[in-house]
Amino acid sequence: MTAVNSSETGTALLEPVAALEARGIVKRFDGVHALNGVSLSVQPGEIHALLGENGAGKSTLIKIITGLYQPDSGQIVRDGNELEFANVRAANKAGVVALYQELSIIPTISVAENILLGEQMPSRGSLVDWGALRKRARAQLDRLNQRIPLGKLAGQLSPVQQTMVSVARALATDARVLILDEPTAALTDLEITDLFAVLRGLREEGVAIIYVSHRLEEVFELCDRLTIMRNGETITTKPVADTTVDEVISTMVGRSAGELFPERSTATDQVVLTVEGLNGRRVKDVSFQAYAGEVLGIGGLAGSGRSELLRLLAGAQKYSSGTVTLAGQRLPHAPGVGRVLEAGIALVPEERRSQGVIVSAPIDDNIALGNLKAVSSLGWVSDRKVVDLARDGLANLQIKARGPRQAVGQLSGGNQQKVVLAKMLARKPKVLLMDEPTRGIDVGTKAEIYRLIRELVAGGTTVIAVSSELPELIGMSDRIIIMHEGRIAGEVQAEGADDELLLSYCYGKTD
Amino acid sequence: MTKTDTLPATTTAPRVRERASISQLFWQGGTIVALIVLIAFFTAMRPDVFLSFGNMRNILEQIAILTIIAVGQTVVMVVGDFDLSVGTNATLSGATAASLMIGGTPIPLAIVAGLCVGLLVGVVNGLLVAFLQLSAFVATLATMTTVGGLAFIATSGTTLYGMPEDFFWIGQGRPMGIPMPIFFAVAAAIILWLVLRFTTLGRRWYAVGGNAEVARLSGVNVRWTRFLAFAVAGLASAIGGIILVSRLGSASSASGNNYMMLAVAAVFLGMTILKSGQANVGGTLVGVGIIGVMSNGLNIIGVNTYIQQVLTGLIIIAAVTLSALKARKS
Repeated sequence: MTAVNSSETGTALLEPVAALEARGIVKRFDGVHALNGVSLSVQPGEIHALLGENGAGKSTLIKIITGLYQPDSGQIVRDGNELEFANVRAANKAGVVALYQELSIIPTISVAENILLGEQMPSRGSLVDWGALRKRARAQLDRLNQRIPLGKLAGQLSPVQQTMVSVARALATDARVLILDEPTAALTDLEITDLFAVLRGLREEGVAIIYVSHRLEEVFELCDRLTIMRNGETITTKPVADTTVDEVISTMVGRSAGELFPERSTATDQVVLTVEGLNGRRVKDVSFQAYAGEVLGIGGLAGSGRSELLRLLAGAQKYSSGTVTLAGQRLPHAPGVGRVLEAGIALVPEERRSQGVIVSAPIDDNIALGNLKAVSSLGWVSDRKVVDLARDGLANLQIKARGPRQAVGQLSGGNQQKVVLAKMLARKPKVLLMDEPTRGIDVGTKAEIYRLIRELVAGGTTVIAVSSELPELIGMSDRIIIMHEGRIAGEVQAEGADDELLLSYCYGKTD
Repeated sequence: MTKTDTLPATTTAPRVRERASISQLFWQGGTIVALIVLIAFFTAMRPDVFLSFGNMRNILEQIAILTIIAVGQTVVMVVGDFDLSVGTNATLSGATAASLMIGGTPIPLAIVAGLCVGLLVGVVNGLLVAFLQLSAFVATLATMTTVGGLAFIATSGTTLYGMPEDFFWIGQGRPMGIPMPIFFAVAAAIILWLVLRFTTLGRRWYAVGGNAEVARLSGVNVRWTRFLAFAVAGLASAIGGIILVSRLGSASSASGNNYMMLAVAAVFLGMTILKSGQANVGGTLVGVGIIGVMSNGLNIIGVNTYIQQVLTGLIIIAAVTLSALKARKS
């Protein structure tokens, strides 16, 4: 680690010293520029949003800041000292810590142990000093105003509590620069409020926070400044107060945001799907109809039964009573996913990487998996048909990949989602169920998915889509059903729908 | 990077090379190098003996039964489980066929009965793991023990002799000078390779092993698919066990038990060959080859069997370590 004091090098002392500064970072992979002269400066006591589409270079930059990758050129400057982080530990020692949603806690050990993991673990000789452990863990949680039982296994905590524990761990290592990557993805609105209060508290303490998120509403609520990246370059850094959501989107995409949602086509009055008195886990007495050529949006709070309703319809879960009728044909009870797919209902599930695609398998095998009958005769698979099917998908959905044999895990989130779509669209479903169709996807690809949905319904397909983001729900749907505690709380036309009315349905008001 | 107006650039410069050719993907890794080094080593030690036609035939004959059981095990490991009962299952199936023949049952009927016993053990494993959702480790450990006990009962704890001469043709016959077990092994390997590579069932097996939930939501009947894998492994074990009895001319109460460890080891060695780390028939054959060459070569240069076992374990560790290091680097 090299350290050069700023006063010796004559850096302008009048400027406030940044908690962390990246200067002219360049990083190439196989000769391709992932980062091309990126600069980012975060002050102590600032929450700084890092924005950009998937592939813009955000994660690469963070990996360089935290010592996971080494830059080809450029400097990392911490409190005026130029540093080189040989690895993640070196970055941690210098007070730079990144929190990733999935990796941040060990589910099988207690909260207290999670907070003081590794070198922080108090010990007497080689024995753990449990008394000191609890005391110090408690102190960190108190700092965050959290009442989490110290002895509980971390795996039993709610997502927000797990996030809090990983924040507490970062603080226990005396982190001065905290990097949060999509910390709210798994959280409910109430939990997000809680997390934001904690982050604001840390800001008061002078911690510098880099906040990566696709949720612009949150950025505008929480952050002080934002930096926008595009194609491996930093485009602009601005105080949040000096810009707007529309401006941010158009800067990220490089074009105007007005085109995000396409025009609504006209829904028909031809009933395709009739659901009557459906009961199942978290779903209570749900009845509705869906029409050919319409996008039916389903909203509601997390846990309101939205996703479960889709899973019941897709055959992924069993319903205890009720009927589902598709194009005049009543579906058998508890038919299983395969039969439902045959009948013409396909599901694009909520969790892309654990439910949608086999990340280790190539694109063509993933698409073929949902279409085994189409690519085989008498149980014998035709390689040519598999590849042709994948090529169709790549072309129709404009999937950015090197070819049909590329592993899905190497694609960006948006392109992975398109692979799931390609798999299900190849079945030419009458009804396409989509659970959070654009979660974790960059703005540009979101617009493409909305356009695809519109193309589908223009062809007569019915799309039923769950979304937890109201603007998305309103923008992409023709008609919206809001669920509350397993029941349908209300139904509105999307055109000109009123945010407040939808929200009041979400919180249980009924007609 | 060029980009169109309609599409924002979303590629993050994927850095892992795409599959250039099947052969490049299939035939890579330290395991193959290990096999070649072993062959070269033993050839250098005993140039007159090791590479001779007679010895090559010996090696193939020695590994033929292991091959049959190991390709069955490959299927179970493709779906992400493993089957610890294949060894005792081979013993029990062989012993069943033997004792029936000794008791006067016609050869074909006795063989069918042995196959049914093996299949039945596989079916029980499949029910326990796929339908009752027990862990494969616990379930097959239990059937391994049970079936091992049944094998003692079937043989009364002794070694059974006195099967009809005609039965020995299966394990000892040499059409065109080639031992019969080799034909069975080649057939088993080809059939399961074809099934895994070219059929919807093979794709379903690999999909369940890759991510069972994704497979289920894609319309795959995951339970049935997993169940079938265990049934296949059971049947393969029975085939191996019956050939073994025929080859030895006798059925003891534990004759096939060792095949479990060796089969699992062979599949593990083979998994290192694919970048994705999946079990595959080609890799399993290489793994079986390593085990066969080791044991035969060490015999030829006069190393005793205890040391052979130690060395076999070490070479497995070496090959797996090598491929893990390579994976970490890339």
